[in-house]
Amino acid sequence: MAAYRWFERHALSLTALVTAAVLAVMLYVPVGVVFVNAVVDDGAVTLAFFRAVLTDPFYVGVLAEVFADPLAVGTHLESLVGWLAAVSISVSVEYPIPGIAVPIPWPVLETPGVRTGLFGFTAYQAVLSTIASVALGLPAAYVLANYEFRGRRTLRSLTILPFVLPGIMVAVGFYAMFGEAGTLNQLLGTVGLGPYPFIEWNPLAIVIVAHAFYNAPLVARVTVAAWESVDVRTVETARSLGASPRRAFRDVVVPQLLPAVLTGALLTFIFTFMTFPIVLALGGLQLATVEVWIYDRVRQLAYAEAATLAILETILSLALTYAYLRYESAQSGLARGATAPSRTPLFPDLRTALSPRRLAIVGYGLVAVVIFVGPMASLVLGSVTDGSGLTGRHYAFLLERQLEGASYQTLPWIAVRNSLLFGVATLAVAVPMGVVVSVVTTRAGRSGAIVDAVAMLPLAVSGVVFGIGLLQGLVFGIPLPGGWRFQVTGAVAIVAAHAVAAYPFVTRNVSPLLTNLDPALVESARALGASRYRALRDVELPLVASGIIAGAAFAFAISIGEFSSTVILAGGGDTYTMPVAVERYLGRRSGPAIAMGTVLLFVTAASFVVVDRVGGRFEG
Amino acid sequence: MKRRTFVGAVGGSTLAGVAGCLTRDGGDEQGNGTEDGESDSETPDPEPENPDLEGELQVATYESMVDGDNPAGPWLKEAFEAAYPDAELNWTVPSEGVNQYINRAQQNAGIEADVYLGLNVDDLVRIDDTLDDGGLFRQLNVDRIDRAERIRDGLDMGDPHGRVLAYDTGYISLVYDETVVDAPETLDDLTEPAYEDALLAQNAQSSDPGRAFLLWTIDAYGEDGYLEYWRALDDNGVRVLDDWSESYYGSYMNEERPMVVSYSTDQVFASAEGYDMSRHQIAFPDGQGYANPEGMGIFEGASEVDLAYEFLDFALSSDAQAEIAQRNVQFPAVESQHVELDEEFDQYAHEPSEAVTVGYDELRGNLDGWVEEWAREFAGR
Repeated sequence: MAAYRWFERHALSLTALVTAAVLAVMLYVPVGVVFVNAVVDDGAVTLAFFRAVLTDPFYVGVLAEVFADPLAVGTHLESLVGWLAAVSISVSVEYPIPGIAVPIPWPVLETPGVRTGLFGFTAYQAVLSTIASVALGLPAAYVLANYEFRGRRTLRSLTILPFVLPGIMVAVGFYAMFGEAGTLNQLLGTVGLGPYPFIEWNPLAIVIVAHAFYNAPLVARVTVAAWESVDVRTVETARSLGASPRRAFRDVVVPQLLPAVLTGALLTFIFTFMTFPIVLALGGLQLATVEVWIYDRVRQLAYAEAATLAILETILSLALTYAYLRYESAQSGLARGATAPSRTPLFPDLRTALSPRRLAIVGYGLVAVVIFVGPMASLVLGSVTDGSGLTGRHYAFLLERQLEGASYQTLPWIAVRNSLLFGVATLAVAVPMGVVVSVVTTRAGRSGAIVDAVAMLPLAVSGVVFGIGLLQGLVFGIPLPGGWRFQVTGAVAIVAAHAVAAYPFVTRNVSPLLTNLDPALVESARALGASRYRALRDVELPLVASGIIAGAAFAFAISIGEFSSTVILAGGGDTYTMPVAVERYLGRRSGPAIAMGTVLLFVTAASFVVVDRVGGRFEG
Repeated sequence: MKRRTFVGAVGGSTLAGVAGCLTRDGGDEQGNGTEDGESDSETPDPEPENPDLEGELQVATYESMVDGDNPAGPWLKEAFEAAYPDAELNWTVPSEGVNQYINRAQQNAGIEADVYLGLNVDDLVRIDDTLDDGGLFRQLNVDRIDRAERIRDGLDMGDPHGRVLAYDTGYISLVYDETVVDAPETLDDLTEPAYEDALLAQNAQSSDPGRAFLLWTIDAYGEDGYLEYWRALDDNGVRVLDDWSESYYGSYMNEERPMVVSYSTDQVFASAEGYDMSRHQIAFPDGQGYANPEGMGIFEGASEVDLAYEFLDFALSSDAQAEIAQRNVQFPAVESQHVELDEEFDQYAHEPSEAVTVGYDELRGNLDGWVEEWAREFAGR
């Protein structure tokens, strides 16, 4: 009993300590190992690499002149004024979905030959991708949070599915859906339209849609979690005081959702800023991003330049995160209870179904089917067809490999088993880590925002660089005195790496809800003698359960979908996962890899439903 | 309670993890035998009286050698072990390819593999640009590899340090849809209006065929002229996608474009998959194709040197050459009288009348620059 008490009293600090230890080994050491390359040359500290990158117009565009000669303020101001005088912003109407007249205002910046550089372009496409993801994700969150219909829960569980798909699968799915001979054109063909070269017309638009495919579900997921914990009593109070439904929504609901929406937008921006395979696969080299260059530098073993680019990328992401977190912590103090809003039936009767709002929902549903279901369905279709029609031989390959494969080959079942095991283990490690970081930082004000921003480091560090750091720092081992080497590989290392990548999602799902909790609730629990841990467990966690479930689902998804560190830490052993198997089966024939991708899709879909159902019980 | 289990599990696994994290270097800092820079005149690795043909041979290679659809790797392992009953062949697939071993050598982290199967000339250049000249692999004593003389002329990989032997080769060519475009006669044709928005290429930074095609244009237009040619291609609407897989499975197979930079063995797969052959025609502009010979070498620090030499010789045997060629769909490295291939392979695998390769000497010190200049041309904005 005494031991339990002791444990209970120190549970928070112990978890915090363990979190710090895991982060030190699995994040700071590997990333540090690579980043040192950027500032050390031949044993001496140098800023030469930064100078080289920052003064290269290829990377930073017009800013290169400023970095080259920061003191010539007069000259820079002069050229800025001259440039501004020649700038014109026009909004042109584009039709990114050709054939269907959906006009989308496309901001066109008419500038006198300005070079944005790789960083500028990367940020530009990330902004557009974020806007698209929010625009596509919010309606989904609205429908899922406010309406009741058959399969709502399952659909909510599956929103996160696109998140786990390997880049090559998304690329193949997108071409199969939107290509000239793709499903969409075949459908349009039945009504006498097309075919339209959707992808060739505007590669940037397709890349942005692909980014929305990945990230709109994320926005939706985070927002649904917040929406479901909106206290309806506040809405009712506003209504009873005479506010119209619209007014009540704007003044009461929106402020409670905004932190979640912005969280989704922030994560999307960071993700798409670091985007790598999708831009080249669908857009081509013309749309290369900073991360593409980092990958190239790493392949050329030019670590100094790679690390420099990665540090700049990280600084930008962290600065943005910090700015957001300052905003988030300023939002605290909204009283919050656990009176979840009630949902209205989506299609109660035919008359309601024909109301403008319901029709808009149906319209959105169609768009969602084309963008989300289309590529995934095309993938599934591709796994059961070949040049001559329906076939089961791609799956026969998987079965045969499973039954007859040699130990050095990749066996499908081991991949499935590992993915599930690592997923569950990641969830078990990342959820406490994420919650602890949330708790430690939410009430700490400005310094909390700094710590919180630093805790977002796993998201802000280039995946390519992280992989190289793991390889050089942990797989090869760090030499210690006496001929010893410190090495971390295998299953434990994979789970730890996944947990490090995943816990920021738990934190970002939990923090906005935790911030909004009335601090008085915790204070009274504490005043009544509860330990900090008990107050957390009995008071705060039940109130933010929807955020924790959302975070847990993300942790699971991150683990399932993670590729680069898994493949490095798995080495030649039998700790590979489903995405790694997909990549390994990819040869001159695509069938086996696509079949494995389909297995990944189904196994993951089933597990998300389970995660949500099990999690749902704790939501109450 | 649940939380406690969580915390316990986290703490426990971290401790367990760390406990197994310390290893002791075996003291075999692989520095012995690396000083052969000046001993080029002597024969390296003199043939022993009684070669040691017992033990485990570690062969590093790439994924599709062991994990693809009917790859040659499993056959090689079985046949080699049958031929050398006291030996065991173990495959290992490093996640970063040769880079992983270059990294390891840089950090003195020890290399367990004996043989690398799947080196190309670029890899040698990168090794020598990063490590000491002639590093990572041993200079081969070709006298110990009897079948080395079977290798065709033109598949000499040009390594001044004699570290590699070719075991197969592929040709980069154009694959096109004859119902949409005609075969281009020359590379220049590709800049003509007839081929507007027709060609798909791959990023030379990350893709082997992409880089091969770039080097082909450098061979054709010189290092002063290739960028201009690519500007013309760009004006004519060439699309440069990431990798062969994305460009082929994604774009080409979904009929986005009628022509793609690919391999001259494409019809072998197309026929096996039952694809419409009119979409899988092979073009060799200027009668050329870019040859990408794949080589094998023995690591400097190899512990099973004798077995490694036997393996290299074995890989050039008639049976092995036929199996490697047909299973991996590449061309054999040996002269045709030493290898018998299925009729179907002969029918569908096409060879250009002239093979182009940019050799070691020209690549050395230039490759990175060429690729980067080219990539900046496309990505710069």
